[in-house]
Amino acid sequence: MRHYASTCQGESHKATAKPCQDSSMSGQKDGVLVAVVCDGHGGDRYFRSDRGSRLCCEVTAKAVREFARKAPDDLFAGASLTQRGPLSTLDPADKLRRQDIMLRQLFASIIARWSEAILADAQASPLSDDERSQLKPEWQEAFEQGLDLEKVYGTTLMAYVQTRSYWLAFHIGDGKLVAYDGKEWSEPVPWDDRCFLNKTTSICDVDAIDKVRYCYCGDGSFPVAVFLGSDGIDDSFGPMDNLIDFYRQVAKAIVMEGPIKTRNTLANLLPQLSKRGSQDDMSVAYVYDEERLPALIPAIIRQQIERQEAAIASLRSTIEAEQAKAESLSEATSQRDTIERDYALKKAETLQLKMEAEEQRLANLQAELQSLPAPSQSEP
Amino acid sequence: MSLLDEVVEVPRRTMTLFFLIDTSGSMAGNKIGAVNDAVVNVLPILNDISASNPDAEIKVAALEFSSGCSWLYSEPKLASDFIWQDVEAEGLTSLGEACEELASKLSKSGYMKSASGSFAPAIILLSDGGPTDDFYGGLGKLKANNWFKHAIKVAIAIGDDADLEVLKDFTGNMEAVFSVHNIDALKKIIRVVAVTSSQIGSKSSSAGDTTKQQQVIDEVKQSVEDIDGAEAASDASVDSSSYDDDWD
Amino acid sequence: MELTPGQTVNLTIGEKATVVKELGRGGQGIVYLVKVGKKDMALKWYINPPDDKFYHNLEKNVSSGAPNAAFIWPEYLTVRENGSYGYIMRLRPKDYYEFGTFLLARVNFRSFHAMLTAALKICAGFKVLHLQGYSYQDLNDGNFFINPENGDVLICDNDNVMAQGEKSGILGKARYMAPEVMAGSAPDKYSDRFSLAVILFMLFFANHPFEGAKVVACPCMTEAYEKKFYGSEALFIFDPKDKSNLPVRGVHQNVIRRWPHFPERLRRAFTEEFDSEHLQNPKKRMIENMWERLIMQVRDELIRCPHCKEETFVESSLASDKCMNCGHPINLSQRIKIGQREMMLALESPLYVDGDEIADAKVVASPKGDGALWLQNVSPKAWTVETASGKLKQVEPQGMMPVRTGMKISFGLDNLKGEVVAK
Repeated sequence: MRHYASTCQGESHKATAKPCQDSSMSGQKDGVLVAVVCDGHGGDRYFRSDRGSRLCCEVTAKAVREFARKAPDDLFAGASLTQRGPLSTLDPADKLRRQDIMLRQLFASIIARWSEAILADAQASPLSDDERSQLKPEWQEAFEQGLDLEKVYGTTLMAYVQTRSYWLAFHIGDGKLVAYDGKEWSEPVPWDDRCFLNKTTSICDVDAIDKVRYCYCGDGSFPVAVFLGSDGIDDSFGPMDNLIDFYRQVAKAIVMEGPIKTRNTLANLLPQLSKRGSQDDMSVAYVYDEERLPALIPAIIRQQIERQEAAIASLRSTIEAEQAKAESLSEATSQRDTIERDYALKKAETLQLKMEAEEQRLANLQAELQSLPAPSQSEP
Repeated sequence: MSLLDEVVEVPRRTMTLFFLIDTSGSMAGNKIGAVNDAVVNVLPILNDISASNPDAEIKVAALEFSSGCSWLYSEPKLASDFIWQDVEAEGLTSLGEACEELASKLSKSGYMKSASGSFAPAIILLSDGGPTDDFYGGLGKLKANNWFKHAIKVAIAIGDDADLEVLKDFTGNMEAVFSVHNIDALKKIIRVVAVTSSQIGSKSSSAGDTTKQQQVIDEVKQSVEDIDGAEAASDASVDSSSYDDDWD
Repeated sequence: MELTPGQTVNLTIGEKATVVKELGRGGQGIVYLVKVGKKDMALKWYINPPDDKFYHNLEKNVSSGAPNAAFIWPEYLTVRENGSYGYIMRLRPKDYYEFGTFLLARVNFRSFHAMLTAALKICAGFKVLHLQGYSYQDLNDGNFFINPENGDVLICDNDNVMAQGEKSGILGKARYMAPEVMAGSAPDKYSDRFSLAVILFMLFFANHPFEGAKVVACPCMTEAYEKKFYGSEALFIFDPKDKSNLPVRGVHQNVIRRWPHFPERLRRAFTEEFDSEHLQNPKKRMIENMWERLIMQVRDELIRCPHCKEETFVESSLASDKCMNCGHPINLSQRIKIGQREMMLALESPLYVDGDEIADAKVVASPKGDGALWLQNVSPKAWTVETASGKLKQVEPQGMMPVRTGMKISFGLDNLKGEVVAK
């Protein structure tokens, strides 16, 4: 498995000279692969969330390695993909299993260690003059008394862990974790509806432990690739489908252009994306199976082609519907009907342009598929 | 040239501004005239905000309710494209039905595409009376809607017969209800509320403790002080009887 | 061997039970819904039949009958057939949830009163078991099922009959074991008393008494680690001297929130019960009767706030306290003293005179409208009241009486007598 993590400061943070509040890491040691993305909260109250997210990445990586080292060998053995939403979504009759109890201990220790880490940070670094000049007096006072520190450092947390015998992922807050199993692209960790628009659950919530959602799998199947993106990324792409298509591009680039070039391109791309899209800080971490991914590139391109064809078909039918509507109103006399007719014509025209662009992209994808070297004889 | 240069579409983020307009019989005459006039005049301003805003573009939708309810257009339009058609007033006040209709459109299958990359909508309710249908039934459905929960909600009470309690329950906060007592004030407040909601609603929030709704309330309250015949409904110190009611 | 729907098994009493469907399975066996005659019952069928001794023990339990109504007890035994055997018990009614679901606050009590009722019933269950010579050796949170509406408790037998799904694993049992049992000694009634204290603590605070900063410091709960923190190095989270195991924000929120609201006497009892002296000296631990008495006193300190009408705990040592919900001061000067207990009178609060969970009296407003507090007899028995001047009066069921210092009330329940006092 290979891995990479990258974070960039958001366009809006550059403008207001705010630090980048995202943190990300990835690493592989002693057979344990870890990728973490944390998004420190924006908002003036969370004035040290850049440090909070960094500390959260650190304690999480350390804790999961310790967990992987000490957990009994059979803990996840044979377990097919098991997905658990936040505690509040579980049916009371649903029993927590041994794996759930062990994972709860892991999450509890991450929350506890993070709390310790931020307390140490607050004690080691008193408020700077800069901070003082920007903070409400009551916040300064609370900070100095060590109160509500978790708010000051508040962050989301998303992590992927893989060992030789199992993989697991957990998440508190927003951002998206997308996995590709060689066939489907999906979000293996259940979503929490309390994350909506700019609201998110957080490690700083009083009942943080009950808001962690997760999945695990020990039946020997592993994802081909997993992407962890902070909400700056998914906010830029809008619908999930769009986001997945971006990750398909990344997966292709890794194979077709090489991992190093992809990293460099991505490092350049994220700031541009922030500028065009969400304006927010951006982090993406990914892990992939360098042995399985190359052979799947044609399948990935075919998925893109299918998506493209579906998009074109849908555009075509909308255009036809709008044209038919305009046609039916061609003799319109009332003000309302004339307005509706003009709208329909205009919409059909705009979508026509869009469809041409989509058709061009389809042609590019088809060419891309053609240009792939024929599979070597040794491959099945 | 890298594969990533041909990155998939980055859609522009949007904020939708909803007008919910009471077109019951009691609105007939110069009240509805003032509403028509005010909305027509505020659209170009919304377009300016949208065009100069790096964060999001603004779309507009309008739902009129009397004996039933209907959308002006079948989908929200960009402020620049929105052509206002004067609404006419007659019939009852089916605010409950309007709430249900709004709830059905505040969803992925309705006007909202995805929560990722979206801004909470802003909703402005204008009414001069009280609902004649099952308002609380409709409001119940609306209140369970996540988009509505996060929306900026402001209500404008036109005249002394507006049911302030209903408007408070709709916005969730008496502070978000503003009363007007003459035509000029009505025009001004529509403009202030629409502009302020759009400005605040379409900005990426970096807010600490105050919600966008509260920011809108605070700003509108300040502006209202300069409008004769308008006041925050929660402001009990203002005696509304001191204004001449000139609706009829 | 597993059974299939439609199959019948023979009971030792000569009747047959017909399998309808599987209800759940655990480590030892499968629980089926069966028909015995026309009655729906549950059959626990062992996958691998335990030894003869076990069968005979079941036989003995069946013939001695359930200790009390709270127990879901083996009622009939099957003959040995199909390579195994099993026993019949009544079905667990709906609306009862396993104790464990309360711990994670996935199910909440409707009221503190229901919570205290559940505590009293668990004490009673322990008491009756010990009286009959049983002990709860391998207690875990699958043993108790509680109705969150009224606090009613059902106790399943020791081999975890109704457990569905898997056992909770290494965590689970250890959390209820006394430190000396963790260290290797055999369980007995003293270690059961420790388990009772843990269960009561968890019932009230939805948190384990030893699970604080120290326990969550480690990301992986290994057996060695478990032995340490539930055994040799067990430390109460609110130990007054050693603050190294305090509950952690974000993790132990239930206990952080609830602990300060419960009456001082309860907090003191737990603090003592879990201090190093009591942990190391099993014979010093509180017996069931003492817990019952304590919980009843705590129940006397649970009143309805006259202002917000919510339940609130108050300190009976104070003449006035504040509502824990609305913060409004509450006058506690008028009370009825029964032996050591003092029941404070607050408008609309129910009073529980005897040991059960049914209110016997209710504080009501004076019908004269003068703002004074009166008492309504909501028990089925008439009360005899002796006024301060020595006159005798009857208060029939549903009847009302004024409350004046010096009055003595005979409640007609277990010979209980109370006196109206002022603080």
